[in-house]
Amino acid sequence: MESALSKACTIKIQNFEGPFDLLFHLIEKNKINIYDIPINEITDQYMDYLFKMQELDMEVASEFLVMAATLLHIKSRLLLPNPRQDEKEEIDPREELVLKLVEYKRYKRFTEILKQREQEGDKYFYKGPEDIDIKHVDEPIELSYDEIKRVYLELLERNEKKMNKNTGKMTQIIQTEKVSLRSKIKEVINTLLKRSFFRFSELFSPKTKSRLEIVTGFLAILELTKLKKITITQQKQFSEIMVYKRDDTNLEDTDKNKIAAENS
Amino acid sequence: MDLKKLEGIIEGILFAAGDRVSMERICSIIGIDKKTVKLVINNMIVNYNNNPSRGISIREINNGYQMCSKPEYYDYLKLLFEPKQKTGLSQAALETLAIIAYNRPITKAKIENIRGVNSDSAVARLLERNLIKEAGKLDAPGKPILYETTDEFFRSFGFKGDSDLPIFELNEMQEQPDNNSEE
Repeated sequence: MESALSKACTIKIQNFEGPFDLLFHLIEKNKINIYDIPINEITDQYMDYLFKMQELDMEVASEFLVMAATLLHIKSRLLLPNPRQDEKEEIDPREELVLKLVEYKRYKRFTEILKQREQEGDKYFYKGPEDIDIKHVDEPIELSYDEIKRVYLELLERNEKKMNKNTGKMTQIIQTEKVSLRSKIKEVINTLLKRSFFRFSELFSPKTKSRLEIVTGFLAILELTKLKKITITQQKQFSEIMVYKRDDTNLEDTDKNKIAAENS
Repeated sequence: MDLKKLEGIIEGILFAAGDRVSMERICSIIGIDKKTVKLVINNMIVNYNNNPSRGISIREINNGYQMCSKPEYYDYLKLLFEPKQKTGLSQAALETLAIIAYNRPITKAKIENIRGVNSDSAVARLLERNLIKEAGKLDAPGKPILYETTDEFFRSFGFKGDSDLPIFELNEMQEQPDNNSEE
């Protein structure tokens, strides 16, 4: 225990990022030409270091052990004669390792550059982006007295209907309404077969249709627009949606597309 | 449009944006070509930098531009802020970042192949610092995640763009990873 501690104080064990880092340290320390590594020596030193790490109770990461095995493997290949020597030119068993080392070295050099630049970069201050609201210029609302009256009456009517539904026919709440997109698409098409355009509120008015039906109706015109069967326009927000038949398509053959619409 | 006005508009855009504004964006807002924008901004940068009465400048970041304070006045400006414990990047994280910068997009497996060690925590740390981001998945077994560097990387390390990365023996560097991956 004591010896391990005193060793830790005297031996400066560098912390290596990985086996390549350690190998580099050894190569540089011994001033070895990287393209002609004396595997024998390097392997011995590498193993020494690993043993030292173990002595100091440092956990040796598995990557270091893999590298140790690789080094030993290369060493053994260099020692043993190649049985297939005549077949083709012998490949230096060190080659793969060297290539990897060289590559790693390059990134390490770039790492040094990054380190310097990181400090330089800290000297710049930036303002973060702010949430700048640009106010939309509101268009003056053109509302006549009649229109306000109409909207108000509509509202009253709608509320009345809602009240009636809730109070009078309580059973209706439980019933789930089944409105299919298919049926609404059919409704839109049928209307457009009769005339070239209609107002959305004509066909899907809160007076005659339930909310679910209106929503599905809206989905239907969106779907048909996507299929390029109809064109829809709206002058401004909350104004009337106009639905037009498109000249360049035949509404009759929408059937196949409808199925596709339902699947999607 | 005369030059003074162009400079003014660009200055305004960069001030209001705060963030990096891409070259394309500036071009489309003003309606002029990249070459002109580049010339005008480079001229602005020279003017800013040569004029000690200006505390701000413009910096090219990943083929866009952003306003910044001048590094020469850093010693004063830093007094404005509470000093925070600056946690620099670890060696492992920097190494990983270096590899990603040259090989983007790249998978973690490839990074580990080059570094020779597990790089999970380094990648996690870089993601946390917003220096790298996920860039889709590689079309290979397991669909591994690809990583690439962010604008923040270019900003933090002061690179103007990909072509601004140092090119020490880059050609060799690109060949060799391929050799390795075949083994």
